Amino acid sequence: MAAVQEKPSTTASSALSLQVRFVTKQEQYSIPDFPYSISANVGTDELNSVINRVLIEDDVIEKQKEFDFLIGGEFLRGTLEELVLRHEALKEKIVDDKDEDDDTEKKKIGVEEVIEVEYVERTPAPEPENCLMHDDWVSAVDATSNWILTGCYDATLHLWTGKGKHKQGFPAHSGPIKAVCWVSSTPESTVFASASHDQTVMIWEWDLSNNNVSCKWICKGHERSVECIKPDRQAAHLASGSWDGQLKIWTVAADKPTEDGAVGESTSSKGATKTPLMTLAGHKESVSAVQWSDEKELISASWDHTIKLWDVEMGGMKAEIAGNKAFFDMSWSALNNTAITSSADRHIRLYDPRSNEGSLVKCMFTSHNGWVSSVNWSLTNENLFVSGSHDKLMKLWDRRSPRAPLYNMTGHTENILCTSWANPDYMMSGGSDNTLRIFKAKTDLK
Amino acid sequence: MVKRKLNPVQVSLDEVASTSLKAHTTKASSKSEKLKPKAVIPSQAKNGKEQKEILKEVKSSAPRRSTRKANMKKVDEEPMDEHSKDEKSDEQSEDDSVLGTEEDEDAEVDGDSDETSEDEEEASDEEDDDDSKSDSDSDAEKSSEVDDEGIENDNPFEFSDMNEAISQKVEAPHPNPVNGNEYEEDSSDEEDIRNTVGNVPLNWYDEYPHIGYDLDGRKLIRPKQEDKLDEFLRRMEDPNFWRTVKDLQTGQNVVLSDKDLEFVKRIQSGKIPDANFENFAPWIDWFSSDVLDTPLRSMPPSKTSFLPSKIDKMKISKMVHAIKMGWMKPKPKPSTEPNFYMLWDSDDKSDEMRRVHDHIPAPKVRLPNNAESYNPPAEYLFDEKEMKDWESKDDEPWKRRYNFIPQKYKSLREVPAYDNYTKERFQRCLDLYICPRAKKMRLTIKAEDLVPQLPNPKDLQPFPTICSMIFKGHSQMVRSITLEPHGQFFASGSEDGTVKVWEIATGRCMKTFEFGCVIRWVEWCPNKSLSLLAVAADSDVMLINPGVGDKLIIEKTDLLLSETLDQGDYHPSERLKGAVQWEPVDEEKWAKGIRILIRHFKNVNQVTWHAKGDYFASVMTDGQNRSVLIHQLSSRRSQLPLNKSKGLIQCVLFHPIRPIFFIATQRHVRVYDLLKQEMIKKLISGAKWISSMSIHPGGDNVIVGTYDKKVMWFDLDLSTKPYQTLRFHGNAVRSVAFHKRYPLFASGSDDCNLIISHGMVYNDLLQNPLIVPVKKLRGHDKFSDFGILSIMFHNMQPWVFSSGADKTIRLYT
Repeated sequence: MAAVQEKPSTTASSALSLQVRFVTKQEQYSIPDFPYSISANVGTDELNSVINRVLIEDDVIEKQKEFDFLIGGEFLRGTLEELVLRHEALKEKIVDDKDEDDDTEKKKIGVEEVIEVEYVERTPAPEPENCLMHDDWVSAVDATSNWILTGCYDATLHLWTGKGKHKQGFPAHSGPIKAVCWVSSTPESTVFASASHDQTVMIWEWDLSNNNVSCKWICKGHERSVECIKPDRQAAHLASGSWDGQLKIWTVAADKPTEDGAVGESTSSKGATKTPLMTLAGHKESVSAVQWSDEKELISASWDHTIKLWDVEMGGMKAEIAGNKAFFDMSWSALNNTAITSSADRHIRLYDPRSNEGSLVKCMFTSHNGWVSSVNWSLTNENLFVSGSHDKLMKLWDRRSPRAPLYNMTGHTENILCTSWANPDYMMSGGSDNTLRIFKAKTDLK
Repeated sequence: MVKRKLNPVQVSLDEVASTSLKAHTTKASSKSEKLKPKAVIPSQAKNGKEQKEILKEVKSSAPRRSTRKANMKKVDEEPMDEHSKDEKSDEQSEDDSVLGTEEDEDAEVDGDSDETSEDEEEASDEEDDDDSKSDSDSDAEKSSEVDDEGIENDNPFEFSDMNEAISQKVEAPHPNPVNGNEYEEDSSDEEDIRNTVGNVPLNWYDEYPHIGYDLDGRKLIRPKQEDKLDEFLRRMEDPNFWRTVKDLQTGQNVVLSDKDLEFVKRIQSGKIPDANFENFAPWIDWFSSDVLDTPLRSMPPSKTSFLPSKIDKMKISKMVHAIKMGWMKPKPKPSTEPNFYMLWDSDDKSDEMRRVHDHIPAPKVRLPNNAESYNPPAEYLFDEKEMKDWESKDDEPWKRRYNFIPQKYKSLREVPAYDNYTKERFQRCLDLYICPRAKKMRLTIKAEDLVPQLPNPKDLQPFPTICSMIFKGHSQMVRSITLEPHGQFFASGSEDGTVKVWEIATGRCMKTFEFGCVIRWVEWCPNKSLSLLAVAADSDVMLINPGVGDKLIIEKTDLLLSETLDQGDYHPSERLKGAVQWEPVDEEKWAKGIRILIRHFKNVNQVTWHAKGDYFASVMTDGQNRSVLIHQLSSRRSQLPLNKSKGLIQCVLFHPIRPIFFIATQRHVRVYDLLKQEMIKKLISGAKWISSMSIHPGGDNVIVGTYDKKVMWFDLDLSTKPYQTLRFHGNAVRSVAFHKRYPLFASGSDDCNLIISHGMVYNDLLQNPLIVPVKKLRGHDKFSDFGILSIMFHNMQPWVFSSGADKTIRLYT
């Protein structure tokens, strides 16, 4: 289990030299604003040494720091020359197309211009922290700052402390669990939910004082396996998507007592049955991911190649993005209002669900070699996200570096099925090797 | 008819003028003239005396004039300015001519002549006002009034008509004694009243002393005839003699004025008599093609101008009718091509020209060789054997090697004449003109030109390109795979005796059913409200409930199949009973998942469902005339559709929409109508051994895979022969499949290749299906000569699954 910086192989080439100016937004590392003439076939290491030497000479820092270099909003991977030549080629193409965009004109990246290189302190490598063993495939994971919740294919749910101590493990469903989520927590008890192949969503309450988990509600209504669940921000509602293409919204708290008065009390052992508050039908195939983007807005991704925005208040669809592959997972970030998706291929695609430009893929992140099963935005950094794939790797990505991820997190011996970055300190991935692997994220750059 | 131009002031009083005109001519009352002095358009000159008087009067009224003048100018200036200037000069010259004799006296007045005239008008104007004065005191003025008019008349503006001008000036030097003022009557279109005889030849009066009568009936006495002497004297003395002509009407001599002479000259030189006539006035193109902003006419266009003409309509409808009836035929368009004629044209011109331009030389005569020499080398001379051979071929001389006998002569001189010369020349001539010569066209065809133009596979996406998942778990080769109708799971049957159900998204094996015998075929029931999987295991066909998917459906299926059906008095025939039996399922088997068990009398090779999910067919290749069975799930009964053995039946297929049943024997595919119970057609594959077939979801196209490496596409509407035969595989094709949604089909073979092809079927019946191989997928390993055993497409996604002899199932996306 290790985190490895991924570096494409550099190719030696001619001694072209480029004019480079270094800038930074991190004031503590600022250096004088001189253009430097630098050989073109340098990579991040060489640039790093340049910056470090200047900084050490100026007594800004004592010891070496690692920096990453942003050129034209893109991280430098490989050599400077490759990137510059690629931009040149792109520019020519743009000129050919007579489609001059102001943005591309602004960033003047060419052999003859002074290239502006922004350097930022490199995101530190995540460190492998823990490995939690399960009895079956770990298909769902969610975390809070204190607790970790996992769901397995043997229909059991497991509760762990943040440190990795097993607190509870109990059979919850009658079919493999596909999704879990923490709903709300108080010092005394926490509420969480799980969704399963048995077509139900179950809402559980964990009494922390006596470590007792009880099923509060069984939400029945889906006609096929429930693939995803997500609570809204107020933890008042749950949205679930299932294979039958339906999205259903459930209340977390008790419904108003129904006429037969059988709320909660009737089946104390397995919890009371709940019916959906609302059903949003529209997807033609399995809903693979759902997320609340707003109090009244849902985003869902489906195998029918679409991402849909739903107005929960109106109970109808607001917008649709059509892709050309089945979506397996989708994560939407409130920090940058974009959604990353994983499809039935090895690419991760970035969409802007609220843009009017149609179904435009904003960016494509390609590095995995298998289906990407799970993607998750960081909750604290608008640029970072993790992805887990069937190629047994979890990758940490920066939005600005589409060609290469920041780090690969190895360790799994089988397909990764789920990832979570709900706890900003830890990245987790569960897979079909029956383990949940936890990496400590050191992403806080102050 | 003379058109008078009115004095500018008079224009406004047009109507009045016309009335006063009358008054004038009749000369009835001078009063009326007084009343409307402005309207007066007099046209006569007056004699000198009168004029003088007037002038005097004008002079005497000078102080009064000055004020008047000022007034007058205000009124008159504007309309005058157009003509006044150039006309003034004319006027003066005219005055000169008219008042020639009085020039001395009038010199000072002359310049003011128009002014005076104006003043006179003014005066008359005033008089108009003073009309109420007594008539009597105006008597004296009357004459002057008339004279006024005379002066007015001098305005050249009035004399646009030349006739009048001439006639007027005539009398100045020769005042008519009889009729002092014959021009009181102003209009020239009235008859000449100086002589009232009218338009009769004047020689009628030759015998009389008079030449006619005046208006009062008095005789007009002929002037005294001049004798030659008088004439001579006049010629000598009178400087105007040359311009004096005799007016026959009055018998007077008239001296032509300069202006008259000018007229005459202009007429003689062929010009327009009026010098003022602008011959080349700028042309004002009022009705041009330019669309003006404002219409020339203020009148709006008439309503009828907007309506289509009825007459035209009638005419056109007549013509249309005539064209319809064939009475009228449109004129053939004259060909626009230039018509050239070949002067020396002949019948076989192309050939003629070809001979000129593209001459083909005659074949050359074979050159003589050594044998033809007069002194050939010895080896060419016939020996005995050759001689004998020559003689033996007398009957068939064309078989001889030479058509002559080589002979040796001592010298060229001794060579005799050649016997066959004439004959050979004749033959040569025949060759030259009877045998046609033509150029051989050699085509240059490149191999790639023969390959049809196919679209680029890139444009035919999506199709599976990469192996995304490998499903491992079986311990023997996987014979058959089948997809759950919803596309979430699929099942596989293997030689290890197990049927496994897999989740596609994760690759998880959800269920495993063990049967302990070779599973040859699995097929999921296409009915989405049933959870059933048909499994062919050895000689049994089992319907098992895989227990994945909707729980409700699983329960319902179990419930439905648990109840035993009362077959009543149904007794299957012995033939059927011997072939198949529906066996009750005991508890143990029920627990295994088996819901229905149908025992066959031979090993079952294939089970296939009808699209509705009620009927299913099973195939026993070794079953001879009972090798195909159709079972009905709802009634739990079976039937034998075939009475006779059609050969080794390989596989069967239900049509997706219509009640049609396909039976593939070794070499043919027989298509049966299930309702009419007869064969519709027989697809002749031409292959030696059919392995599998699949039908397009539209139902009109069938692909057939064969063990002799071919995949054949049959278009059922087109022909019973294959529309296309694809030979892409290096080994026996084991399985073929169509995609339900995308225009894709695939074939899997023992050479471990899975070939994806684009097979677009068009709704247009005239357009043939487009078949483009797009991708070759390789992944399976060969295992004891077997490669891929079964393939299937996902129902919704462009994914393909293949199961191989290497115990794995692969998913390509």
